[in-house]
Amino acid sequence: MYGRRASQLLRELAACEAGQLTAFNSDTFEQVIRECNEHNLQLQSLIRKIEDANLDIQTTRNEDHFGAVIHHLSLLRNKRCLMAYMYNRAELIQSLRWKIGPVLPQEIQEKLNYSEEEYFKNHSAAIESYMSELDLDLTVDMVPPKDPYIRVKVLDDIGELCLGDHAISLTQHSLHFIKRTDAEPFISQGLMEEFLE
Amino acid sequence: MGIYYDIDDILLEEEPISVLFQTGASGVGLLDPGSETNSVERSAKVTLPFWLANELFLRRAVSINVPACFSSETRKEIQADAACVDLKFRSPYFYELGCKILPLVTDKSIGPFLQYAFTSRYTEILSKSHNITGANPKFSSKLTKEESHLFEAARSSMISFKKWRVGGSRLEKASILGRKRKPTTPTESSTL
Repeated sequence: MYGRRASQLLRELAACEAGQLTAFNSDTFEQVIRECNEHNLQLQSLIRKIEDANLDIQTTRNEDHFGAVIHHLSLLRNKRCLMAYMYNRAELIQSLRWKIGPVLPQEIQEKLNYSEEEYFKNHSAAIESYMSELDLDLTVDMVPPKDPYIRVKVLDDIGELCLGDHAISLTQHSLHFIKRTDAEPFISQGLMEEFLE
Repeated sequence: MGIYYDIDDILLEEEPISVLFQTGASGVGLLDPGSETNSVERSAKVTLPFWLANELFLRRAVSINVPACFSSETRKEIQADAACVDLKFRSPYFYELGCKILPLVTDKSIGPFLQYAFTSRYTEILSKSHNITGANPKFSSKLTKEESHLFEAARSSMISFKKWRVGGSRLEKASILGRKRKPTTPTESSTL
């Protein structure tokens, strides 16, 4: 059926848990584009057929006209599905910058298409240049803080971290009392957690 | 424009609709598996996705039959006990499809029927969503997309409310401790 394959792409998006990213389905994506080219060829040939019969293309309502209409509609439908696929993924990719930071972990990186990687880099660069202009890190304090300092537990070896005038060693399972703004990127990356008694 | 990228709106338009061709169409033999030539004959009965059926209907190329999910059997079942009917099996986009198909068919009773079905199922969804702890596949598998969104919204707001109340009780506990201390002081003073 026309447009079936394109809708499969979106079914894939709908089936996955909210906020999760699926691997870019380049196979199906390209198949849909090939389908579009096929529709285009068929559409052109039907229009040529009408023109060859010396009929007015504007007013003719014969079998060829409706065949051409169906191919045209299928093209639009496929386009809409492909656009929606890219758009919904792009929305998610944008949110990654705020949740994870400028460097994506390998397992997420693998799920992106080449153009999506570029998009993420450019989006990230745009946010960074804006933040440096403001001289303010917008990605911290996403949850309104109650205290400028928090107690954190380190979940994975991070190494030395320079905080203002002194350095602390962040080894696994160690507890620290540090500035919330310093801890926040590590927490969002899953390297630390807030330690609650 | 917002709806253009909406995944649910796109998937809902993929729902199959049975149509009757009022005119032929050549070069689209794929639509009619029974066709021997590469075309659809006049008065052929074909199942098309909604997006195609809708556009062709507007061009007066096809007439649309009421989909099976709005049949009289479904209506009888809904009238008997709305909450028990598996609407997801009928169509995961039961209400949205109904709203979209209403202007295209002559049977206008679908509108009130949808409203009746929704309002009578809504009570059940709301009460279940507030009381269910954990997943209940038997109940939630019968819900359409719209209904499960509602269900999830109600459930998660209930969970957030409980979480907030527990968080609030920590403050309450402190005030109780404060109150407890008052009776202890007179007893201490009495023992002295």
